[in-house]
Amino acid sequence: MDPILTTNILNVVYEVSTLAVVVLGLAVVFGLLNVMNLAHGEFVMIGAYCAFFVQTQDLPFLAAVPLALLVCGFIGLVVERILVRPLYARPFDTLLATWGLSMLLREAVEAIYGRGFRSVATPLTGSVDVLGAGYPAYRLLLTAVSIALVAGLVWWFVQSATGRRIRAVVNNPELAGSVGIPVTALARNTFVFGCCLAALAGVMLAPLLPVNPTLGLDFILKSFFVLVVGGLGSLVGLISGAGVIGGVESVVSAVSDRTWGYSTVLVIAILFLWLRPNGLFPRT
Amino acid sequence: MPRNFGQVSRRRFVAGAAGSGAAIVAPAVFTGARAADELKMATFFPLSGPAALFGPTGTACTRLAVDEINAAGGIGGRKVTIVPADGGAPPAEAAKAAIRLMLRDKVELVVGSHNSAVREAIVAALKGKIPYVYTPLYEGGECNPNVYVTADTPQQQVQPSITWLARTLGAKTYYLIGNDYVWPRKTNEQAKKYIAEAGGSVVGEEYVPLGAPNKFEDAVTRIKAKNPDLVVITLVGGDNVNFNRTFAGFGLDKSIKRISYLLEELTLLGIGDKSSNGLYSAMSYFVNEKSEANAKFKASFAKAFAPKPPPLSMLGVDSYSGVYCAKALIEKAGGTGDAGRLMAASNALRYRTATGTAVMTNRHVVKDMFLAECKGTSFEIVETFKAVAHGQACS
Repeated sequence: MDPILTTNILNVVYEVSTLAVVVLGLAVVFGLLNVMNLAHGEFVMIGAYCAFFVQTQDLPFLAAVPLALLVCGFIGLVVERILVRPLYARPFDTLLATWGLSMLLREAVEAIYGRGFRSVATPLTGSVDVLGAGYPAYRLLLTAVSIALVAGLVWWFVQSATGRRIRAVVNNPELAGSVGIPVTALARNTFVFGCCLAALAGVMLAPLLPVNPTLGLDFILKSFFVLVVGGLGSLVGLISGAGVIGGVESVVSAVSDRTWGYSTVLVIAILFLWLRPNGLFPRT
Repeated sequence: MPRNFGQVSRRRFVAGAAGSGAAIVAPAVFTGARAADELKMATFFPLSGPAALFGPTGTACTRLAVDEINAAGGIGGRKVTIVPADGGAPPAEAAKAAIRLMLRDKVELVVGSHNSAVREAIVAALKGKIPYVYTPLYEGGECNPNVYVTADTPQQQVQPSITWLARTLGAKTYYLIGNDYVWPRKTNEQAKKYIAEAGGSVVGEEYVPLGAPNKFEDAVTRIKAKNPDLVVITLVGGDNVNFNRTFAGFGLDKSIKRISYLLEELTLLGIGDKSSNGLYSAMSYFVNEKSEANAKFKASFAKAFAPKPPPLSMLGVDSYSGVYCAKALIEKAGGTGDAGRLMAASNALRYRTATGTAVMTNRHVVKDMFLAECKGTSFEIVETFKAVAHGQACS
């Protein structure tokens, strides 16, 4: 196969799978709690800064994973208790509250690290030969880990007891509560879990990004498009949404340029909001 | 500092004091608001928005220049005070701020380092009533009355650097990538002209939206397919970081050279030492520039803002020179009140910069330009181009 074509195909797979990981936490929280966490991108950003912090301490890159989970998990826990829980039945208010939170988190990181760009060294340098095309090793690894993460989560959600309980809570919270499912704890854990997924995505992507306090803004809009296209609240929807948004953008960008890629994504998002507001896989 | 600097300024001091005294006495009678001994200078640096990264350096450099000037007697004998405004605000907001500063705060001078949209708004608001010194690098073409541009122009950045790279690296094929707005397109117009003159050809040209969450895998793959000798980059900020990291991530840095036209110390920090191999930059200031003047400037800067001085970079240091340009201009014209005299005075105006002196003609600046190669996260100047023409024809 033509090495340039191979590279382009790998680019598309890379873009779709990393986008799916970024949206994963957002989709879990929205699907299960009906909370649109506009600070999701900031949790990604904090994850990326954890990778930077670890680098400044001369620790191995992987040490950023537990650190980011700890930091974002803790912030998520506090935020769920004081900001999100009182607003569970009020989607618009949570939207505003988490928007405010996103500004607070950005400013907090700026206060610590300033506005400047930080670079995180790629933990895995060099490239791997794929069908005659040299592709950066770290991107390949990232793609594999992203696919494994999404697949693992889907599998866990479908077959585990906790997954069943979560689905019960989503379908009918009162009934779920009355049969002894701890609804409040489950909701809290779900929110914290979503934040941790964002943190993980941040660590993974940090070596490929301009790490700065406004990093999260780049993700939130595209993540929202993925949910619009895929349909809110199912993992199949998430994967198909990431496939459509990430796939279309990178394919169109590859054959023409980024301006067309970006415009096409905007048009698709508008068409979906207009003609199919529940997305490809609406919640039943 | 040039040896005759103190002498010249003392002579102009007298002329300036006389002129500006006449200019300010009349309004002071009516409003009583203006202290006769202070000259208010408005500054527009990005305090918010994506360029806010450069705000603290600009603010600090201006502070340093003003403190130095005030310690030496001020501008034309008048102490300078700074009235800061946000150059990162939307253009309409900046215009309102400019009008308020001029009418209510009675500023007599504006110094700004911000994007061109904001510049156009400020120019329209001031209507040439007070002098306005514009300092960052820009696309050229600003000739409105009473506006003085100390910025690097595309002619200054592109002509010597492309010619040098074509000759030294033997570059024949070029790929141009930039953000989609006026500065990259004007800069690339110049680049295409000099590439053709050097006998090279452009094998690809593309623009990505400004302010969109751009990724560069596709562009880098296209560049890989075209395999040019040199990539000419007019991306800004995060996009510049992102592109160069992706470029090196795909291993293209090993075989293809790059030159970026808005690459200073802060952006290079984001690109990182692993991705800066074979990357060049061409501007009128680098922190590593070796002149005595720059060493002095850096020492004063470090001392003035100890223990934690903001990071120095071209965007920020430009305003240090901008303030000195304003001082020389006002002293030579004998005050801030007469646009005609100021514009006449700007011709062949000599003023102090962080790295020496520069000369203004056609309200732009003939200056020394540097070509630097990235070594890790710092720049090493590989060539100095003396007194490069700005290519602007303002009357």
